[in-house]
Amino acid sequence: MTKRHVFLIALLAALALAGCHKADGEKPADAAAETAQEQAGQTEDGLLRLAVNADIVTMDVHKTTNDYIVPMNVFDTLFSIKKKGDGSTEIVNRLAETYEISEDGLTYHFTLRDGVVFSDGTPLTAQDVKFTFERMLTLPDSAQTDYAIAIDGAQELLDQKADSLRGITVEDDRNFTITLAEPFAGFIASLATPPTSIFSEKLVTDAGDAFGVEPEKTIGTGPYIIREWVRGSRLVFEYNPKYWGDEPSVKRVEVVVMEPQVMSMAFQKGDLDVLDCFLLDAAIVNSTYKTDTYKDRLVSTERLGLNFLMLNEKIEPLNNVQVRKAIQQAIDREAILKSIYDGDGKLEDGIFPTGCLGYSSNNQGWLPYNPAAAKKLLADAGFADGFDLELCLDSTATDSVKNTIQVIAQNLNDVGIRASIRSLDHASYLDLRNSGDMTAYWALWLLDFNDPDNIIYTFFGSRDNTKVRSNNYADDAVIERVAEAKTIVDETKRFKEYEALEKKIVEEDAAIVPMFSLKHLYVIGDRVKHFTPHWAGWNDVYFEDTVL
Amino acid sequence: MKGLLARMFGVVIVLIGVIALIFIMLWVIPGDPATVLLNDHVSQANIDRLTQSMGLDKSLPEQFFGYMKGILTGDFGSSYFMQQPVLSLILENFPYTLRLTLLAIAFSWTLGIASGVISAVCHEHFLDYLFRGTAVLGISVPVFMVALFLQYLFYYRFSLLPLTYDGSFVSLILPAVALGWNSAGSVARLMRSELMEQLDAPYIDTAKAKGLTYKKAVLAHALRNAAPSVITLMALQLSGMLSGAVITESVFSIPGLGQLALTAVQTRDMPLLQGTVIFTALLIAVGNILADMINTMLDPRLRTE
Repeated sequence: MTKRHVFLIALLAALALAGCHKADGEKPADAAAETAQEQAGQTEDGLLRLAVNADIVTMDVHKTTNDYIVPMNVFDTLFSIKKKGDGSTEIVNRLAETYEISEDGLTYHFTLRDGVVFSDGTPLTAQDVKFTFERMLTLPDSAQTDYAIAIDGAQELLDQKADSLRGITVEDDRNFTITLAEPFAGFIASLATPPTSIFSEKLVTDAGDAFGVEPEKTIGTGPYIIREWVRGSRLVFEYNPKYWGDEPSVKRVEVVVMEPQVMSMAFQKGDLDVLDCFLLDAAIVNSTYKTDTYKDRLVSTERLGLNFLMLNEKIEPLNNVQVRKAIQQAIDREAILKSIYDGDGKLEDGIFPTGCLGYSSNNQGWLPYNPAAAKKLLADAGFADGFDLELCLDSTATDSVKNTIQVIAQNLNDVGIRASIRSLDHASYLDLRNSGDMTAYWALWLLDFNDPDNIIYTFFGSRDNTKVRSNNYADDAVIERVAEAKTIVDETKRFKEYEALEKKIVEEDAAIVPMFSLKHLYVIGDRVKHFTPHWAGWNDVYFEDTVL
Repeated sequence: MKGLLARMFGVVIVLIGVIALIFIMLWVIPGDPATVLLNDHVSQANIDRLTQSMGLDKSLPEQFFGYMKGILTGDFGSSYFMQQPVLSLILENFPYTLRLTLLAIAFSWTLGIASGVISAVCHEHFLDYLFRGTAVLGISVPVFMVALFLQYLFYYRFSLLPLTYDGSFVSLILPAVALGWNSAGSVARLMRSELMEQLDAPYIDTAKAKGLTYKKAVLAHALRNAAPSVITLMALQLSGMLSGAVITESVFSIPGLGQLALTAVQTRDMPLLQGTVIFTALLIAVGNILADMINTMLDPRLRTE
């Protein structure tokens, strides 16, 4: 054994020497760059180094519902959402300077900010806005039709029964009107999300297939320009000197694709400025970063999203409300939150998570952990001997989610439900879920924009939606009410309706097991003075909001 | 020459088989690109629209022959996700994999052959035990473990080498060692056993009796006779390296072919997956033909009239 060790060390030493030797040739340039960086770092460097766990597939936001890092920083939206000191969110004007809504909530008149140009100098016009929404609906492989569908005439354009979007009228270069098919109170908020980034008609048309693929052809009005994109490896952003807003402190951003364990190493060596703890196992975050060395460098924000267990009402015996209620009470949510997530979150009893508009404290605090009551409910429902239940797990889920599912299975076994875990690869998982046949699964919905409709409509807004999310919620009248709720113009009335719907779906019908909302933790390096996470706690951030 | 043509024909048959197999496999396993693209923001209307625009609503034979027709005209199709022609994506990524593989091969074969020969010559000696032990270690430790260990040691502990690939040659050293480590072990083991068998053969005694030094006898006779099976193994390792590269590439953030293939599988991106598999299959076939040619040159018995 010792001989082997000696050899191993000798071999490694030899390798190390070989490495040094080979490195010598390239050292001067590297070293010079490093010193330059270090010197600059003491004054006003401006380089921000981030890591992500998976590369994007496209920079064109109309063709993805996942990859928002480029749209968020290279493009701009009419509005944006900012988090205030008290944790609530507000809508801030960006490309739209002013707007007015008609009494009936159908017509929105906008005036664009004066003098905005794309990073190549092309001016932004109201026609670009119209073009952008038309493109969302006419692109054959558009993934973002949902964000334009509320506009009058959108369905006809999508069905190729019209040539243009009649709901948008361009008055002059800066003024335009959007008419909706029916009132939608969340419309302005939806214009503050990356999918509604405004493109240039001229630049997108000129770029053709290269738009969203080649950095130099992917041009926006945002604070940064995409300089370089090496697939599977890295993205480089630079400050856009033609940007209409204030000059940010971050002038250059390098985003590297890394495995999470590797990220942690790079951060500790000072080669990353921000470490996204969400990508790491919570146990590692605990042992390594919630320590004296790093505790002052931790930044946390509430993820505006609900973690919950989805139950499929189509599958027996989950079609029995008593059984679903038993499951709700059988799971020790508090213990899971404490042991797996180190208490970095908050129990949620409704469908609207804390911080989401429409959140109602009236619908909180009703759901206890009560295995005895769960057993009784099961017995009353005729399942005193329990039943088999399959919990589906996406194999790409984080370690924390995998652990959570394990604990849930254990909790269910404790009340007699024989829960088993079925792990599926991502594509197969989605396929099964979309088919409406997934029995039960761990779901997370992070808000795209701050409106109750964004979460409740997604899961309970139509028969199709209840199918593709495998909940098969049975009450058609409620589904109709969910779809109607978005059109209520009076805000107080609308939120009252959402409160009633939440109570009906979660508490009375036990369609889901609400679990908790979590915090999103980051560790920031010494070079970062102030780091602002995304308002809803997404993984992607606006670089502009960070101060070095 | 005739043999070579026959081999080439065989390669074409294999490729057609590979294409058909992947078609069937992608058809059998659940999940499709439209689903993956929409992910959590799914709606039935969008699934239907995308399925149609990607041509996935067509029947399997229709898709298969449509694809084959494209290949015969040199069109490998476009990736569903990356919106780029598959061929240009492959050609863009392949140089990274090639560089990594060549360096890994240089490392593993040098180390493997050298330690195998030393092991055999110093049979049951201290050095033999050392190299054999290391070879077992090389074979049994998975690539990602070796990768993480190397990163920990050379980046984290001693700050000698970069953590991930940054375009420089230096940053390829760790990935190459991680990737080559495993094959070095198997080459060393086979080299040792083959060579020892030859060293026991009577012709070595003859050679020594003729007055050749032991060193010369090993280098000129035994090594040459031990070579063919080692070379065959090496050719097989080429394919192993290409698949091992998937893991190495993702740990070291190298934008290579392996990552491309991995993404293609995960997203059910048929044209991209077909493209990477055809390309890799071609490389392996060529590698095997080359190995056979080298063996024929080394061993006259393999030559046919």
